[in-house]
Amino acid sequence: MDLKNRASNNKGIAYALMITSVVLVLMMIAGLTMLLNQGKVINISPLLFYKIMTLHGTGMIGIASLGGVAILWYFLSKYIYLNSKIFFANLTFSLIGVVMILIAIFGFNFSDAWTFLYPLPSFSAKLNGKTGALLFLFGLLILGVGYLVVYFYLAARLIKEYGGLGKALGWDQIFRGKKGYGPPSAAVASAMVVIANSVGILAGATAIVESIINIIDPNITFDPLAAKNLTYAFGHIFANCTIYMAVIAVYEVLAEYTGRPWKSNKVFLIAWNFSTLFTLMIYTHHLLMDYAVPEWMLILGQIFSYANGLPVMVVTAYGALMIVHKSNIKWDFASSMFFLSMFGWVAGAVPAIIDATIVVNHVMHNTKWVPGHFHTYMGMGVIAMIFGFMYYFNKTEGTQKQNEFDKYAIFTYFVFFVGLVGSFLYAGKISVPRRWAVHFPEWTGTDQFGALCAVFIIIAAIIFTVRFFKGLSTVGKQSTPKSYKSAS
Amino acid sequence: MYQTIAWYATLFFVFLISLAFSFVFGESKRLKDYAPIQEKGYKIRKYYFLCLVAILGLSAAISLTKLPYHSQTAEAASNLKIVNVTGQQFSWNLSQDTFTVGDSVEFRVTSKDVTHGFGIYDPNMKIIGQVQAMPEYTNTEYVTFKKAGTYKILCLEYCSTGHHLMVKDIIVKPKGGK
Repeated sequence: MDLKNRASNNKGIAYALMITSVVLVLMMIAGLTMLLNQGKVINISPLLFYKIMTLHGTGMIGIASLGGVAILWYFLSKYIYLNSKIFFANLTFSLIGVVMILIAIFGFNFSDAWTFLYPLPSFSAKLNGKTGALLFLFGLLILGVGYLVVYFYLAARLIKEYGGLGKALGWDQIFRGKKGYGPPSAAVASAMVVIANSVGILAGATAIVESIINIIDPNITFDPLAAKNLTYAFGHIFANCTIYMAVIAVYEVLAEYTGRPWKSNKVFLIAWNFSTLFTLMIYTHHLLMDYAVPEWMLILGQIFSYANGLPVMVVTAYGALMIVHKSNIKWDFASSMFFLSMFGWVAGAVPAIIDATIVVNHVMHNTKWVPGHFHTYMGMGVIAMIFGFMYYFNKTEGTQKQNEFDKYAIFTYFVFFVGLVGSFLYAGKISVPRRWAVHFPEWTGTDQFGALCAVFIIIAAIIFTVRFFKGLSTVGKQSTPKSYKSAS
Repeated sequence: MYQTIAWYATLFFVFLISLAFSFVFGESKRLKDYAPIQEKGYKIRKYYFLCLVAILGLSAAISLTKLPYHSQTAEAASNLKIVNVTGQQFSWNLSQDTFTVGDSVEFRVTSKDVTHGFGIYDPNMKIIGQVQAMPEYTNTEYVTFKKAGTYKILCLEYCSTGHHLMVKDIIVKPKGGK
């Protein structure tokens, strides 16, 4: 790879990580504010609560995706040439989209959440005016365009390097009897994300365009159930792909630290092919309480949601345990975060699978059980991977060293995150609904406990962020920069 | 019941996962060749995979036998009372809101405006069932009231800034009582 492009890629990744770390802390503070209000520690208006909720959801999912793309880009560019201009294009689209979304929320009171269900935005437009709703929807569209640019470019590069997306997913090894290992894990995971997320974003864009048309001309209407299918196809796939991008760091870094290569053998490749298929299929577990959906689709939603747990439990997490076992690994910030992130991912899959059981969903859907499970694998999974990568980036591209603060910060982050998600899951057990600005008195104990945990999580995240920014100043100051293999 | 099962099943399996991670972490400072670890690991993985498939398969087989989509989940299904429910920002409109213990009810749920969630809470504020209230569609929820008291309908699908105001009481009287 030419050094100029690598430096430019690193610059883009550093910018993305800087934005990610700051936004993460801000969104955590938004989450804490909601918990404090639900716990009646502070008192904000319901409108402000729902605006913060919209910001928190959109911001967290957006920033997890940006952090995930940064990880994917960094490691994939070790194997194939990636033009940094594309990465910067996505950053630019993202920033424009974010500004529009912020104006929509705080300038025009848009508060319909990031997984708004058609025709909610047009009803909000009648209440608060069309401008806010349209700004939010067009902002989301622009964000989507940025990611599509990245994914289409990655698709083109993977096709050029490996001869097709199927080949990048190891179809030669799986179906055509080719001996040996498949492409590097970074390429396999990238191919999966390109396929799944492109479909997801196009589904989401369709739902957004439907809402835009309906706002501009309310006489043109669409089927709300079809729109809901599109919305959850997008939401589910987009959220899942954040972890499938971020896990590339786990494959690469644990292999490096243990000196045990994480090769893409046949089982690994089959697992990623099933992950691709299941991720596209199982969004119907979000519609289990829509009885108008054909019953067979809902039953498949349950069965394939169960099956979707297998690739991570049997291949990725198990592989991480195997590679670390008796490896004399050096535990530092990066390796600790990546190891613990695998725990977060698998632990989060358990309540997620349970919630995908139709009879359970019947009494737990849209309770706090739902944020309980997705905060487990987002907060202790994806976000832990992103924080771990921030340290790894500074250490590899600069000279950052671990200090005592880091250990305590990691301990604090995970212990209190267990407390936070425990409070959410317990709230789900006692039937506390999600997304309620005002809670009944019997529910506030779980909110207050969650808020207390969130305070410590935020302190840990601030330490991570400050340490990242300090470490960033060392990037590029290595005496001997690492050399990379590659590529056309 | 399902809430309790979900809670303890989660605690149990997450505890097992914690044990696995703690064990590997504890052993991580030792050094051994990777090849024998891989060989043994792959053998164990086969049994682990089969075990997971068995647990998930059994759970699916048991749980799919009693889906909430059918009226047989309500006892005395032949005496169903039909109640029409309409959600709209930010209230519930029910064609009947007073019942007697033992009544089996078919709630036919729809919405006049945006999507809502029709969630029924028993007198202990525990969800006993729910269904989506969607414009242009009618979803049915079957409930048999087993104890007397004040039940509540809460909106369980975010429907804008008055979402938390969508609460409606249902009175269930004891048999023979007033």
